[in-house]
Amino acid sequence: MHRRSLRLRLLITFGVGALLLSSLFASLTYFSVQRLLVDNQQQTDLRESFANAALVRSTLYSSPPALGALLNSIEAATNSSVLVHTHHQWLSTSHGAATSDVSAEIVHAVDNGKVLHQTISRRGKLIFIVGVPIPAVETQVFEVFRLERLEHSLKILGLVLGLGALVTSVIGLGGGLWVSRRAVRPLLNVSSAAAAIADGELTTRLLVGQADQEVQQLTESFNTMVSRLVARMERDARFASDVSHELRSPLTTLTTTVSVLQQHRDELSPVGRESLDLLAADLSIFQSLVDDLLEIARSDAGSLEHVIEIVPVAELVRQSARSAAQRLGIPEVPVEISDAARELSVGVDRRRFERVMANLLGNAAHYAGGAIVVRVDAADSHVTVDVDDAGPGVPIDERESIFQRFFRGRAAHDRSLARGTGLGLALVRDHVAAFGGTIVVHESPEGGARFHIELPRREGAVE
Amino acid sequence: MSRILIVEDDDHIRSALRLMFEGEGFDVDDAPSGEVGVALFNRMRSDVAIVDLMLPGISGFDTCQALRSTSDVPIVIVSARDETADVVLGLESGADDYVTKPFVPAELLARVRAHLRRRPTSAGAFTLGRLQVIPDEGVVRDQDGTELHLTSTEFRLLTDLASVSGRVLSREDLLERVWGYDYFGDSRLVDVHIRRLRMKIEPDPANPTFLVTVRGAGYKLVL
Repeated sequence: MHRRSLRLRLLITFGVGALLLSSLFASLTYFSVQRLLVDNQQQTDLRESFANAALVRSTLYSSPPALGALLNSIEAATNSSVLVHTHHQWLSTSHGAATSDVSAEIVHAVDNGKVLHQTISRRGKLIFIVGVPIPAVETQVFEVFRLERLEHSLKILGLVLGLGALVTSVIGLGGGLWVSRRAVRPLLNVSSAAAAIADGELTTRLLVGQADQEVQQLTESFNTMVSRLVARMERDARFASDVSHELRSPLTTLTTTVSVLQQHRDELSPVGRESLDLLAADLSIFQSLVDDLLEIARSDAGSLEHVIEIVPVAELVRQSARSAAQRLGIPEVPVEISDAARELSVGVDRRRFERVMANLLGNAAHYAGGAIVVRVDAADSHVTVDVDDAGPGVPIDERESIFQRFFRGRAAHDRSLARGTGLGLALVRDHVAAFGGTIVVHESPEGGARFHIELPRREGAVE
Repeated sequence: MSRILIVEDDDHIRSALRLMFEGEGFDVDDAPSGEVGVALFNRMRSDVAIVDLMLPGISGFDTCQALRSTSDVPIVIVSARDETADVVLGLESGADDYVTKPFVPAELLARVRAHLRRRPTSAGAFTLGRLQVIPDEGVVRDQDGTELHLTSTEFRLLTDLASVSGRVLSREDLLERVWGYDYFGDSRLVDVHIRRLRMKIEPDPANPTFLVTVRGAGYKLVL
């Protein structure tokens, strides 16, 4: 899907809107003013032409030879050229006049006794021609007004209006920029707050303050929503933790009683013995499940206290691997420490790191024929711990989901005897994350699974 | 025949524990509260005690302190609480060991037995600054002859570190030697006991000169 930027759209809307509106107003203004000016000018010119035509007529009556001088004096006074036409030929014209300005049609129309006036373009200039007939002497007087000054005024007006439109558009664009920033800022705030919350910073809230009313509503609803969600999450986590905790007492009675029964195993019938074995086996799974569930619930509730110690990674991994193997009753796994990692330290909760190793080695023993080697090495700013097993490896599509709670992969389905709690790897990932590290699974060079832990290097002494 | 005291307020757990320990050949005294437990202990002088932390009336911590004030009896705390603060506080109030519910019954049995059959230490008498440690008599004396009181676990910790003549013992070594664990237990047990021991024998417990931490390795006793 093509995603457009809201800010860009706001900006474009404002810019284009301002441009369109200002252009429209500029054009309207221009054309009205133009019309007004031209009309005015024409009225004036028309009146003048009639007056001049009257002068021409009286001159023709009284002293025709003075006509030329009159026409020139009119031209000098009004800056228009005057032409007099009679009996199909030009009688006289003022100095600046050009007979070509007045076409034959115009002459003909005026000759028919009509007063005619029209604006036409001649050699790129606008001129206003007025023709007045003097029927008594079969003469037509034409006056040609040049509209240069009007044109000039209109040009300046157009320029000013155009500039105005441009400035308005720029201001509109600026306004758009400001508005879009202002409109988008709360959205950006919400989005970064939501991202922070998604990253687990549950105390993140939006600032209710100088925001606009609508934004304030958004802010408040957002904050309310987050608070409710957090409360809900805490309640759920506490519930799981409480349930697991409450299960401990009856579970203790159960395991103890089963051990008493096992003391008296010989007195039981074969059926009783078999039942007892089943009970004992499932009880131990149940116990692990409650342990894991409690640990995970606490981790969710954020009440899991990690006692982080800075410890040499070599000693940590060796001891954890050994004790995990002993606790699980599986063969010890060789631990290889690279020279680079020999002197390095990491910050972990010892007990929980041991749990991590126990879960990884236990998993390998259950599903993959056991771990082959645990390797400790150094990388740039962290220490890596690889646990390789001899199994068939983890299918690519399960390499992420294997860390999900109660995920049952193909390996688990294949072996009905090997029953885990389904929480082991989820717990491993939680713990490793609490140490500031990461864990992923991929394929070892031998083809088995390789659980790859990265822990940040830490400096400092041990106490 | 060993005598065990069980202080536990949950009737079912108490009965189950009684059955289990009786089945293993113990003489069992059980008490639903700390008050009853302490009174029972004073009368019966049990060889080992199991104490729950969350009790009605006086708490498990107080019960441990009360027992410890009159005796060196090994005390194992059995609690549903496994937060480090509880473990440390439990051990600080005089307990020797800490087991989290729900426990593996065989593990609890093994721990109780380990506390009961502490082997005599092989260390000879030695001095620590102003202190005279005499393992044969099980006492630590000051220069002026005043006896310093150490619990049996603390004494064992001290003499075991002395017996390896200055070598470093890791936490798991100590768990095996002192607590009799045959696998890696909770290293907090060692750390808390070392701290308690330092409070008693070091002139300045914050800067230990005898009982020193060796980075990444464990502890050693500088004689």
